[in-house]
Amino acid sequence: MSTLINLIISGLATGSIYALVAIGFTLLWQTSQTINFAQGEFVMLPAFFMLAAMNAGFPFWAAILIGMALSMLILGVAFKRMLVDPMLKHGVLPLAIATMALSLAMKESVKQFYSAEAQPFPSLIPSIDLHVLGAVVSTQSLGVLAVGIGAVVALQFLLTRTSVGHQMQATAQNPTTARILGIPVERMIMYSFLINAGLVAIASVLVTPLYLAKFTSGETLGLAAFIAAIVGGFNQVRGAIVGGLLLGVVDNLAATYISTQYRAAVPLMLLIAVILFRPQGLLGSAEERTV
Amino acid sequence: MKKVLQVSGVTKRFGGITAVGGVSFDVFEGEILGIIGPNGCGKSTLFNCILGQLMPNEGSVKLDGRDVTGMRPCDLNRLGVSRTFQLLQVFPQLTVRENLILSGQEHQGSMAGRLFGRRDAGLGAEADKMIGFFNLGHLAGEKAGGLSYGQQKLLDAAMAFMAGPRLVLLDEPAGGVNLTMLESLKERLRAINAEQGATFVVIEHNMEFVMSLCTRVLVLAEGRVLAMGTPAEVRANPEVVEAYLGH
Repeated sequence: MSTLINLIISGLATGSIYALVAIGFTLLWQTSQTINFAQGEFVMLPAFFMLAAMNAGFPFWAAILIGMALSMLILGVAFKRMLVDPMLKHGVLPLAIATMALSLAMKESVKQFYSAEAQPFPSLIPSIDLHVLGAVVSTQSLGVLAVGIGAVVALQFLLTRTSVGHQMQATAQNPTTARILGIPVERMIMYSFLINAGLVAIASVLVTPLYLAKFTSGETLGLAAFIAAIVGGFNQVRGAIVGGLLLGVVDNLAATYISTQYRAAVPLMLLIAVILFRPQGLLGSAEERTV
Repeated sequence: MKKVLQVSGVTKRFGGITAVGGVSFDVFEGEILGIIGPNGCGKSTLFNCILGQLMPNEGSVKLDGRDVTGMRPCDLNRLGVSRTFQLLQVFPQLTVRENLILSGQEHQGSMAGRLFGRRDAGLGAEADKMIGFFNLGHLAGEKAGGLSYGQQKLLDAAMAFMAGPRLVLLDEPAGGVNLTMLESLKERLRAINAEQGATFVVIEHNMEFVMSLCTRVLVLAEGRVLAMGTPAEVRANPEVVEAYLGH
């Protein structure tokens, strides 16, 4: 029982990281039909920005801020202006393929210009084991979960309780009308790219201390976020949250109770089951698009 | 009477096809002008030319004597021109009230202003008034996408009136709306026309709807003005009967 509690809490912690990445993923899809196959690498890169800043002599907190800012600039503004805007004119598929190329370019660049070795990364939250109801729970898991939930709540507040959030939703749901009403559609789309860049940077700070900074570390995360988004429902922010948390817990339980060897297969089986029986995702709604 | 809208010689060609060929007419303040014509006669193209969604090849559109040909829809919106759509264009995941508030906003100002400003942008009371006016009270908190087609049409119309427009162009407001809802829509449009003094231009297929709602009717055929006059005059025009009404 105590193992189970422990597994669920640490699963939720990992899951909240998946959720952050998956939310960004669905936001980009909703506002600009971007399927970002480089999303995993988007999580890998900010950690290297932060490491580089620390190597240059900045303290950890300043390095985090620098990493965030660079992430917004490069993974937000530059990504939209230099890759999405020119490619989207040619359609959704060419853009998706371009993001695959981007993911390769990002991986290889980090390997080439930084290091192919895994780099240790300091943790924001000290790791202390707490004994709760006989279970051992790490403060790190709780901290990750808290930051993850905090980020999600803040985002939900922005999207549903503010004027700008409504304008962003309007842009995602019906860009033509939004434009006629005078909503600055282009700016709203840019906001969603900035939010995505912020989310991946937060995820990067949370996940890197657990798995080290390595050029390949985006691969599993990108896949997890993709699965989480599809399982939860591609067109719903709350679907991405549920998908992420569910995946984190299922992943953890599978590793313990089924087999570590089949651990990676379980999320994929979940994905296949969802696609077979509920293709719109657990919380998603069916979406039609003329192609 | 004061001319609100002057359309002169508007022509729109798509490749070799002339969808609208030299259409001219004036719309006077406070009137309800109906535009009728068979399918494909250029009604919607004409609308899109007036509203800046298409740039006419020739001709001009004037609002209060000011040339607004090809002006962007959102700028026209700020000048007090709004429209409804033939196919529904509400925001499905937002509530009825949120839809109304969004459509009444100016959408200007800084990011901080949007973030920390009032969520209803000071339009809550106006939205509630419009909800009451169009009898949508029981649906105010519902997501727009969950409403029936007719209810969404009412919402669409209500959205067009949120900004307190002077000129509203309605593209097939009656299409797909059931009879009961149609009567209430007609009655509401008449009331708002009388109360706000707003001017309407209505494109419609439903002859009965146009003839009973509009003060003047323009008949379009193959991209040209075939006739224009009061509903009674248009009904009596032999050419109109031949082209459109007669079967």
